[in-house]
Amino acid sequence: MLQFAIRRLAMLVPVFLAVSLVIFMIIHLVPGDPLEHLIQVGSSPEQRAQMIARYGLDQPLLVQYGRWLAKVVTGDLGDAIVMRQPVARLIAENMPHSLALGGAALIFSTTVGIVTGVLAASFRDSLFDRAVMGFILLGSTLPSFWLALLMILMFAVQFEWFPVSGARSWDALVLPALTIGIGGTALIARVTRAAMIEIANRDFVRVLHAKGLPFWRIQLRHVLQQAMLPVMTILGLRIGWILGGAVTVEYVFARPGLGSLLITALGQRDYPLVQGCLLMLAIAVMLGTLLGDLAQAALDPRLREAMGAR
Amino acid sequence: MKTMMTRSLLALSLAGLGFTGLAATSAQAQEATFVMTARLVGAPTYNPTKATKLNTATTLIFDRLVVQDADQSFHGQLASSWDASPDGMQWTFKLKPGVKFHNGEPFNAKTIEWWVPQFKGTENAFTVEAIERVEVVDDLTVRFHMKHPDPNLLFNLATSFMCIPEPKAYTALGDKFGVTEAIGTGPYKMQQFSVGQQTVLVRNDDYAWASDLSTNQGPAKFKKLTFREIAEESTAYLELKTGGADMLVNVPTDFLPRIQADKAVKLVTIPGNELVYMPINTSVEPFTDVRLREATAFAVNQKEILTSLYGGNGAAADTFLISSLKESQVEPKYKISYDPERSKKLFDAAGWKAGPDGIRVKDGKRLEVKLWTQNGTEFKRLVEIVQAQLKAVGMQADISIIDAGSINAQYRKKTEHQLAIRAYQWTNADIVDWFFAAKRAGYPNVSMFNDPEAERLNDIAMNKSKTWDERVANFTRYHEYVLSQYAFAPIYQPAQSLAYGKRITLPQVIRGTGLYGPTMLDIAPAN
Repeated sequence: MLQFAIRRLAMLVPVFLAVSLVIFMIIHLVPGDPLEHLIQVGSSPEQRAQMIARYGLDQPLLVQYGRWLAKVVTGDLGDAIVMRQPVARLIAENMPHSLALGGAALIFSTTVGIVTGVLAASFRDSLFDRAVMGFILLGSTLPSFWLALLMILMFAVQFEWFPVSGARSWDALVLPALTIGIGGTALIARVTRAAMIEIANRDFVRVLHAKGLPFWRIQLRHVLQQAMLPVMTILGLRIGWILGGAVTVEYVFARPGLGSLLITALGQRDYPLVQGCLLMLAIAVMLGTLLGDLAQAALDPRLREAMGAR
Repeated sequence: MKTMMTRSLLALSLAGLGFTGLAATSAQAQEATFVMTARLVGAPTYNPTKATKLNTATTLIFDRLVVQDADQSFHGQLASSWDASPDGMQWTFKLKPGVKFHNGEPFNAKTIEWWVPQFKGTENAFTVEAIERVEVVDDLTVRFHMKHPDPNLLFNLATSFMCIPEPKAYTALGDKFGVTEAIGTGPYKMQQFSVGQQTVLVRNDDYAWASDLSTNQGPAKFKKLTFREIAEESTAYLELKTGGADMLVNVPTDFLPRIQADKAVKLVTIPGNELVYMPINTSVEPFTDVRLREATAFAVNQKEILTSLYGGNGAAADTFLISSLKESQVEPKYKISYDPERSKKLFDAAGWKAGPDGIRVKDGKRLEVKLWTQNGTEFKRLVEIVQAQLKAVGMQADISIIDAGSINAQYRKKTEHQLAIRAYQWTNADIVDWFFAAKRAGYPNVSMFNDPEAERLNDIAMNKSKTWDERVANFTRYHEYVLSQYAFAPIYQPAQSLAYGKRITLPQVIRGTGLYGPTMLDIAPAN
């Protein structure tokens, strides 16, 4: 297992390098630059030229990339040009908010998704199954921006159960976490249901039924355990997806976090900050995928063997 | 698209759900929460010397030597009086006695002597560029010896960038000043600041040196103020609606009609410091011909835009400067107001005759131009109306909506654009230099205006004025000349709007050029 984990980890290095190059190039190839936000009415064109030189923006892109990467691998994400603060500090200040939001959303979508998936599979083709799957389909298709506003209007404005926005109290976490969580719930429920149904048709399950074991015991102890394999992969992918998906939700709910920071940085074309935020999101996706794979491998020894590990 | 969705959803939901009035109050009577919307979101620091973007809270933490009123007059804040020598080479300021910084350090002439050199090498260096040296005459008198006359000195001193920080804390904190701590002499102390999120201020109980723009000459009325930054306009509005916030410091234009109709919320408008206009690229065909520029400028119906798009809030613009500036008082013949007949005659005279579909044609070429603007609902709606108005006189304008973060880079290509809809916010006539000086062609001189006479007048206005009155006269002439060359079409002057709920009261008159420190001192709990 350890060997498997090391191999998977090693595979991330070239992926990281490729991702870092793409992240660097994309933001630099988009028109606009951070100096727009630093030039004052009254300053001269010469001052602009000085600033371009000061921030190294007059160097070829590959040179800029090389300098940035050299610092990144030592853990230095540089200083934000417009925000004038170390990128690492800004990310460190905002990351806990995103992790809290992502964690809450993940717990919600995992719990509700698996329970719903199990129930839908257990009562396959019933009215309950159809209603749940229909609702899930609806939830997964609503854009998060729309859903966020709907949540605010319903639960903050009409019922006054939760604050409209912010992060000043624990209850301000509920609506944004639900907004992100609903999309994930749909996915996890669908995967759980499909896997449960597929496994329930296998011979060993029929044997268990023939032996007279109680239905729910078979479903929860035998079928669900097997069905968790694909769910684990989905959960791994969801970790990164949730952090990325939080961008819109943090913006609408005016919450601090990596998403809000990224939107501000993008608007200002603050290159080091955009690069830092995107890099963190990319790392989250990579680590999430890794965790999913490791969890799957832990549950299924055949996978480890297929990867050449013992 | 996103904002459209927001608006539609809000309209449906507000109608369907039916509001039952303000939610239960959550803040204490001695506390208030203000919301700053998109334009004020994202100021990264409260270090006034080094910042290029500051927000409303800055003028509560710090004071300036002087402050400016809505009529552009100047009033002492930390300075009790001042005078300039006749040749403009010396400015002497008398300072108020007994002023202390939040950390107990005294404010005096030595503070100013230390402060002015701090601008060197910063993006705000131009504000003190004309000052040769600072002389401490006595503890409460300071004299600026100038390299050359700078009649704009008082304007610079009144900007937020010239708020005065405490020297010891400024030096000790370095780059952290304004981020982790901000020490000034203002009516509030900074307690907490999260970039892009919120700033919490607590009252400076020792405050007793307000300017005469404030009725309240003592400490502020609220013990604690929270300034939240909410970029999403619907969320900001709903915070006010539900009582989560006491005031929207700047009301998004799209929400003006809704707030006007809302009895639970009061709306106050004050003279604006913004101008919406249409730059015309003078370096590309067909606008190299001044007659075409004039015809285009007179085709824009400013009053129709004011009524249909802004519900009458604000004013139609007929020059390039906001109307509170003296330099906007140009000879009537230079003003640009809707005149379709004049426009059509000019097109005809230039040889552009109406074709069968109404679009004008010359030498077999149709009058088709590119009309750019940046993304955002207001700009999109505005550009569509202008497109229709231009079509009415025979010009087909093809709209391009470009991301706000990249549009300036597109202008820098210099010849890709022809017409554009833009806005600026500034309360000084030197904006004419910013947008029309030849050395700034591309961006910010989107009009690509390069005219020898304009350059001569620019030099006189920018560098040869000795007194404020002389500067006004010189800039008025420069402004008039640019107007006569139709390098743009003026459109609209938005009013500044703020909305507030029942828990606070505002003074009858909002003093200053916006909702800044002087007015904030007079804002009080409702009971």
